[in-house]
Amino acid sequence: MSTMAETTPDDPSLLVICVDSNPSQGILRRNPDALNSIINCVTAFGNAHLMHKPQNKLAVLSCHHNGSKFLYPSPEKSLEIRQMDGQYEFFTFVEKSIKFNLSELIKNAPKIVNNVESMLAGCLAMALCYIVRVKKAQPIGTNLISRILVVTGSEDSAHQYMTYMNVFFTAQKERVVLDICTLDNTLVLLQQGCDITGGHYLKVPQLDGLLQYLLWIFLPEPSIRSKLALPPAVKVDYRAACFCHRELIDIGFVCSVCLSIFCKFSPICTTCSTVFKVPVPIKPKKKKIKT
Amino acid sequence: MAEDDEIKEYRWETGYEKTWEEIQEDDAGLIASSIHDIIQKAKRKRQEAKKKGSRLGMMRHIYIILDCSDAMSMPDLKPTRFINAVRMLQLFVEEFFDQNPISQLGIILLKNKRAEKVADLAGNYKNHIKIFQNLTKASLTGEPSIQNGLDLALQTLKMIPAHASREVLMVLGSLTTCDPGDIEETIQSLKQENVRCSVISLSAETRIMRHLTLETSGIYSAILDETHFKDQLFQHIEPLQATNSQECSLIKMGFPHGVVQDASSKKDQSMMSLCMCHLESNSDKRNLSIIGYFCPQCQAKYCELPVECVVCGLTLVLAPHLARSYHHLFPILNFIEVPNQHQSTHCFACQKQFQESDKHLYKCPKCEKHYCNDCDMFIHDTLHTCIGCSSVPQRPQMNHYDNNRIFKNVIL
Repeated sequence: MSTMAETTPDDPSLLVICVDSNPSQGILRRNPDALNSIINCVTAFGNAHLMHKPQNKLAVLSCHHNGSKFLYPSPEKSLEIRQMDGQYEFFTFVEKSIKFNLSELIKNAPKIVNNVESMLAGCLAMALCYIVRVKKAQPIGTNLISRILVVTGSEDSAHQYMTYMNVFFTAQKERVVLDICTLDNTLVLLQQGCDITGGHYLKVPQLDGLLQYLLWIFLPEPSIRSKLALPPAVKVDYRAACFCHRELIDIGFVCSVCLSIFCKFSPICTTCSTVFKVPVPIKPKKKKIKT
Repeated sequence: MAEDDEIKEYRWETGYEKTWEEIQEDDAGLIASSIHDIIQKAKRKRQEAKKKGSRLGMMRHIYIILDCSDAMSMPDLKPTRFINAVRMLQLFVEEFFDQNPISQLGIILLKNKRAEKVADLAGNYKNHIKIFQNLTKASLTGEPSIQNGLDLALQTLKMIPAHASREVLMVLGSLTTCDPGDIEETIQSLKQENVRCSVISLSAETRIMRHLTLETSGIYSAILDETHFKDQLFQHIEPLQATNSQECSLIKMGFPHGVVQDASSKKDQSMMSLCMCHLESNSDKRNLSIIGYFCPQCQAKYCELPVECVVCGLTLVLAPHLARSYHHLFPILNFIEVPNQHQSTHCFACQKQFQESDKHLYKCPKCEKHYCNDCDMFIHDTLHTCIGCSSVPQRPQMNHYDNNRIFKNVIL
């Protein structure tokens, strides 16, 4: 995107990672131990980002079945850590607080009977609020480059469409790049988000190599990605489906009041119950503009 | 005159009335916090004033009429009125298309008693921005003619179909106008055609302009300073409520497939072609490529959407363009201001710790989470999504399966 122009190499970079820890996602139902390795990979990746530049910042959110929560930095009490041999204290702190907060979250979460979908869109919205706050707290003159990485094994979800769209447009406005790393399913909706914000979308071919994929594809900052030979962007289909038959259409009718899409002319809008004028052939407007 | 009774005092006076009584020193003897409060109260007031669930005119057709006369070279706005206005309008155009993606905008300049249309009504803002960028060097001469400008705008606007809103936004620096005929006639015909005229005056209020805006139910404002100018200009970004005279109709639209570079596998569409949008421009700007959007009706190619097909007149959009407008139609609830009694330790959205200095918290009436003031503003101005409502599952997910099935259809 053209928005990445005026950044300098000294600018701090904020990475917000949203990890889906919902136990009802397919990948965890098949193999509950996978969460452990995912969290390890994400922690290592987060620390690698911090290692890149001393000014870099990190935040990790967990999207659980009962809500989203910050794992690092946690708003509540801070942990006491002892120095570990050979490890930089800061990295130990990041790792310990991610693990501690996640275990608290899992312990306190209510048991689920049925499968519950992850409220990933809300988690992204939360991340955006955090980014905006950190941006505001920056000293004047510094340019905070921020991005969000989503690591999830969930499926696309229908009734979060509006939230997702709002999040994508807000991210675009705030110049936040949205990267998606999906572990299991193809997420068509999130692909649109990547396309809108200029981020990268990757479906991990093998979970075992997760850290490797993260480090190679998502560690470089968006401004230098164009110089790397990354896998090509996926083709995104933005066609709309009509509200009446749910079929993909090329030409449709749009209600001028509520913007619902229909495939055939109907006298009353089913969404906002507006009565339309009798169909008159719509004259081409082109001539009028040329006058 | 009837309208004189309605206006008790001038608009710009009320905003600043007795502000000195509201400013009080805090414990440290500073007034900064008090001023901060006043600004936030004003913001909040505007937010609450937004009406909900009303029918909006989503397809707007607006002409910006910009004064390029002598009076615009005055340096009371820095560096000059004109350069300042052009800069402001650039921001306005960008924001306008962000909020009203399926609207169209045109530009008319007033100079030397003539009106000149520099941009036709169009939906692609990049062209408009370029025009504004080139404008800064324009020479400012003579007197403006308001009548000529309005007539020119009316000429095009009266041909716009009745389901769309017709608007004129005038940015005026001059206090005088030099018209060829009776302006009253123009005002009446504007009224008849339902063209809403709003005027922002960079100098002082004039009666004829107020009369024009009253007749056509527009907004009149004379600016105080640069910030006030921006404020007054940006209030025109929100889509207006639909007037009763505005018809409702179904509009035929095309949803083109995007053809991306890797389409070489498809035999039929992998041919190199020129796009219709740059056909008439200089040869170096024309790009011969396979990438582009094809009109589903006549197969004309465009490199950017939304656009109105120049061949068959079909409006071409993408689904996200429509989605961008949904937040106007389904706005989120206003948060309730509650006194800070340590209900929660930190803001639910941005995780900021609440301090003693935060006198008020903001609570969503639906999910009952608490937010800080900054997040409240951000959520309502930009994000249009309540964090609590969207991140915590509210209801038992009964028709989960059904929804997913529908959704798969929606997006592919």
